[in-house]
Order: sequence, then structure tokens, then C-alpha cells
Amino acid sequence: MAASSENTSVGDSVPKINDDLAVGSDLEFQRRWWKFENVTWWLFAVIVLMDILGCFGRGPLANAKVQTPDGTMKIKYERIERLSTPSLITIEFGGSAIKDEKLQLLVSESLVKRLGNQRVVPQPAVSRLGDSKIMYTFPANRLPASVQFSLEPSEVGISHLTLQVPGADEAKLTIFVMP
Amino acid sequence: MSAIFRGAFGYLFLVFIVRTAGRRPGKQMTPFEFVLIFFMGGLALTSLVGNDRSFTNAMSVVMGVALTHLAVAVLRQRSARFGRIVDGTPLVLLKNGQFIRETMKNMRLEDDDIMAAARDKGLKTLDQIEYAVVERNGEISVIARSDDSKK
Repeated sequence: MAASSENTSVGDSVPKINDDLAVGSDLEFQRRWWKFENVTWWLFAVIVLMDILGCFGRGPLANAKVQTPDGTMKIKYERIERLSTPSLITIEFGGSAIKDEKLQLLVSESLVKRLGNQRVVPQPAVSRLGDSKIMYTFPANRLPASVQFSLEPSEVGISHLTLQVPGADEAKLTIFVMP
Repeated sequence: MSAIFRGAFGYLFLVFIVRTAGRRPGKQMTPFEFVLIFFMGGLALTSLVGNDRSFTNAMSVVMGVALTHLAVAVLRQRSARFGRIVDGTPLVLLKNGQFIRETMKNMRLEDDDIMAAARDKGLKTLDQIEYAVVERNGEISVIARSDDSKK
């Protein structure tokens, strides 16, 4: 019984065209929407182009190379990474990187905590933690030598990564992880 | 928890993309549009679920998406403006024997699309149509000329 008071009579609530057909069309709104659609399509095109170029990772603009001033390390990495997406950091050693038949590499903890290091190739003989850094020690006898880190970033945003052969120049990398 | 937010965002994003990609689903859906819808859904799915392939995650995301859908439906009902943004409005494609070319061009519809809807209604030629309207769900409604209007 109470529900009957909520009923309303049928009226001309839907606008008509030609005073004949109730359509409820809103052409002015639609014209604005079409303009918005056109802008959106251009925006999509720009985003796709930027993606192809690597602005969001995985493309030529995302790839980076850096070398320490003393030539101890040449590092190939991706300055723009994607969350949970595998990537590589390759370090080629030169100069006086090897001492006493071993190569030591000091990296910041962000390599593991934020950038999700999954694997180091070759496997280090010793990994030592301390002072927010990790020291990897590899048996090595002569150059050239290279080490590869397989990453799978676990946190979105800017990560700072430092790499250094003890006693040599430090390399500071800034890596942005896309969601 | 992040998977639920990803699911909700993915739902809203796909609604936006499908809305922007054009309104020709349902009966007017052609094979290439069919591919578009399923391909986009499949691509979005991989990132929404993430590495967590558990039943718990899947159920949580499904419920999150259902709640987002409910929220959109409630907002649509309460706000005519929001409804127009999500669904668009019906648009007249043909009236009084005249094609409304501005609407047809912007909706990427051809005479053939209207004729297909007309045949569905048992009409043989375009001049038997008094009104053709592309509805909010993308279907084309055709209203045949009455004998009065033919005179």
C-alpha cells in the first residue's frame, strides 16, 4: 500500500524531435563529446608513439649506458623500468677492477629492495651485507669481465642505485619504475 | 588489496576506452569490433591479476569490479550528466527522408548500417524509414513511415 504513493504518472519526460518522436537526444552534449573524443584519439596516438620510443620503458629512449670516469665500469641498463617486468643490468669491468684474482662490487641495497634483483650472473663467491650496501665478490683473473643482474622491480617510482668497485669511482644510476 | 584497486581502475579505464572507441556494440558489432572488445579485455586481464594467480585474488578482483560496476550504475541513475558521459545519448541518424550526415560521420556509420537495421524491421528501402536512431547501446532503431507521413 505504501509503495503506491511513490508511483508517478507517465508524462513527456523524454524530449521529442519534430514534436513527434520521444528520443531524448542531446546533440549539443554529443558535439562536445565528439570534440573530446578527437582530443583523446590524438592523446592516445601520442602515448603510443611515446611508448614505441621507450618513454615508458622497453624502447630506445629507455636504454642507457654509463661509464665511470676512471673507466672501471661500463654499465648498460634501462633508465625506465616497468613493475614486475624482467630487465638486465650489465656491467663490463676494465682498468684495475681485478685485484688479487678477485673482483669486488659494492652495490646499494636498492638493487634488491626496490629493483628486485633475481639473479646475478656469474654467481658471486661471497655476498656480504652491511651499511645499506651489498658487497659481491667474484673470483676473476683477467679482463674483460662482466656481471649481469636480472631485475624484476617491485616498487613503483624513482630508485637510486650506486655501484662501485672499492677504491674506484662510483656510478650513480637513477631508475624510474613505471606502474 | 592492490589487485582490487587495479581491477576497479581497469574496469573504469576499459569503460572509458570502449566509450571513446565508438558506440557500435551489440547488434551492430562487426567482427573487427568483436576482436577489439575481447582483445582489450584479454590484454587488461594480465596486468590486473598480476603475479597472484590465486582463487582468493581472482574472487576479490571479481567482487571489486562488480562493486565498481554497481557504483557506476548508481551514479548513472542519480546524475543525468554522468549517465550521458557513460552511455551517451540516443542520436537521430535519419529523419523526414534526410540523413543527418554530421551525426553519421561522427558516429562512423554508413547508409548500409541503417539499411541493415531497416531490413531487420522488414523494410525494403531507405525511403520507407521515417526515423532512424542510434540508441545508447549502439543499436539502430528504425521507425517506418506511416501511411500519413508518406502523403
